[in-house]
Amino acid sequence: MSQSLRPYLQCVRSSVTAALSLSNFASQVAERHNFPEIEAGYSPEALLNPLTVARNDHERVFIEPSINSVRISIKIKQADEIEHILVHKFTRFLTQRAEAFFILRRKPVKGYDISFLITNFHTEEMLKHKLVDFIIQFMEEVDKEISEMKLFLNARARFVAESFLTPFD
Amino acid sequence: MLLLDYQNVLIESLLKDRFSGAPPVAIDQVVSDFDGVTFHISTPESKSKILISISVRCYKELVQYGAQAVLEREYGPYIVDPESGYDFSLLVDLENLPEGQEARDDLIRRISLLKRNAMAAPFEQAFDEFEALQEEASKYTSESAPQGVKEGGEVRAIHYREQEAIYIKASHDRVTVIFSTIFSDETDRVFGKVFLQEFVDARKRAIQNAPQVLFRNDRPLELSHIPGLPSGKGEIGYITFVLFPRHLQRKRREEVISHIQTFRDYFHYHIKASKAYIHSRMRRRTADFLQVLRRARPEAEEKERKTASGRSFRVQ
Amino acid sequence: MSVTNWRTINIDALDPDSPYNFDLSTLTPSVLPIASSEVQSTANQIRQLLRGGDGEGALRGALDTAPYGADERGKEIHLAAVIEILQSIRQSEMTPILNRIYGSEGGSEALDVLMKYICRGMAQHSSPGSAVSSPQATGFSQMGSRNLGGGEGSGQMSVLLSWHEKVVEVAGLGCIMRVMTDRRTV
Repeated sequence: MSQSLRPYLQCVRSSVTAALSLSNFASQVAERHNFPEIEAGYSPEALLNPLTVARNDHERVFIEPSINSVRISIKIKQADEIEHILVHKFTRFLTQRAEAFFILRRKPVKGYDISFLITNFHTEEMLKHKLVDFIIQFMEEVDKEISEMKLFLNARARFVAESFLTPFD
Repeated sequence: MLLLDYQNVLIESLLKDRFSGAPPVAIDQVVSDFDGVTFHISTPESKSKILISISVRCYKELVQYGAQAVLEREYGPYIVDPESGYDFSLLVDLENLPEGQEARDDLIRRISLLKRNAMAAPFEQAFDEFEALQEEASKYTSESAPQGVKEGGEVRAIHYREQEAIYIKASHDRVTVIFSTIFSDETDRVFGKVFLQEFVDARKRAIQNAPQVLFRNDRPLELSHIPGLPSGKGEIGYITFVLFPRHLQRKRREEVISHIQTFRDYFHYHIKASKAYIHSRMRRRTADFLQVLRRARPEAEEKERKTASGRSFRVQ
Repeated sequence: MSVTNWRTINIDALDPDSPYNFDLSTLTPSVLPIASSEVQSTANQIRQLLRGGDGEGALRGALDTAPYGADERGKEIHLAAVIEILQSIRQSEMTPILNRIYGSEGGSEALDVLMKYICRGMAQHSSPGSAVSSPQATGFSQMGSRNLGGGEGSGQMSVLLSWHEKVVEVAGLGCIMRVMTDRRTV
């Protein structure tokens, strides 16, 4: 792991762990409703101060805690057009499978590439530290995957170009 | 399957099958090829007479650039009047095949290259023009050459797909082949750019004698006088191949023409293949992520329950 | 009149009794308003200490005088001063300083404030949406734009990230929680 990545992930880990202190909280607005306060936004007093963890302008995590839900949005590094399109494809691929991921939000928060929404029901039936592990591992792997895909694309392009031009030689 | 074949494999195998001496059967097949080319293979009169027709969307242009002559050279005695709805037809009589296996294989090869040969006409014409211009240019020094020789000949345009075209222009020291191509979505465009960058760089790096490749989004200077060309937009790209005299020698001509024709399809084929690969990677990676997330769910312990009598049962 | 789309109107916002209009200030501990000129002079005093080589004293002073009651501009001024202090303290000195502050009276509160500034500092450079990378429309962009990843902000970020790590080591996760829950923002 690169030198500057470790403190970044460490910081995300501690912040997410802290934010994942959730309790059941029925809606104050509608009787017999129970929805994530961070999404509904009906009760300002149930929302907490959002946190940002940033490595630089292009890689950051936005954590919006509330009494019964946390929204975690990740902006993935995109150094150029290729990475941009790969990140876009990958996150879209994931969000289309959001049903299987339980905590994946179907639409990222504006300005970020992918968002997770963790509610008290998730923390009740899943192990909290494993959820944090998942977020951290996700961030690590996504970066790795994107750069590997980019390397593959370049390698293939080179090979294809040379194969086509060789018969002319 | 890295490079694309020049011939149509379906026609080739079909003819091989027929020529092998098997009892003749009725055929009625429509075969598709790249660039919207369609073949129709049928036995309209009797089972032993195979009619092969081709339809190319730019046939009129090809004829204008001398396709008729090229096809006559290649298929001379087999040519018949074109079937209705098609542009060009050949008739092969199984009872009247050339003698010897070699001659028959050659015929199969030639027929399966029908599309290639039809499309080759403008290239051949341009290569001939290059030779003429080169001859003429050798009479002058570079400064004193008259305008016509310096500038080279006219631009031959082949609109072989709905929105895409090949432009060929001969000069006294080169032949320029320009492909205009459409990228159907943003991903294609970005991937295409990566690929083309490698085409451009390959010459500098590995293959010094390859044709020079240039890529741009707005139209190249050679085409500046052609009206109605889209340009400047992201989804259209112009790829220029500059063929140098070494590529235009008579003995290499056939190979070069065949090869450069496949460029557009080869290029897009590999873009699509890369997309497919990346998609499968994402699928695998997503499965990994799901695995990690599943670990967060504590195992629901399946305890075996027993009744007082010792029989086990499951809680429904 | 007909152009208004009634469905998109948030009627809760119009109802004074709705929880949507809950007065958050009733939850906020009362803080005294401070003028930004006052914040400026405090910041100057702190910088004086820093120039004198007393990084720890400057940090402690800055954390004790956090201007909760100041307006946006005043808070910016103080934030800049705190970040300047944080950047000038060497990596090896961080943990000893934090331990000393934590051990002293009111040290736990001081580190909560420090955590607030670290979080604020990271959020500052990165208002979402403003820094959307814009891929060039034409030409080969993968060569020219390599340096996008490490702008000038990343140096400051890595300092803040290591401070963050150290503060959590010393004061525990509780200080992050208190940053999220404290209505007094810096």
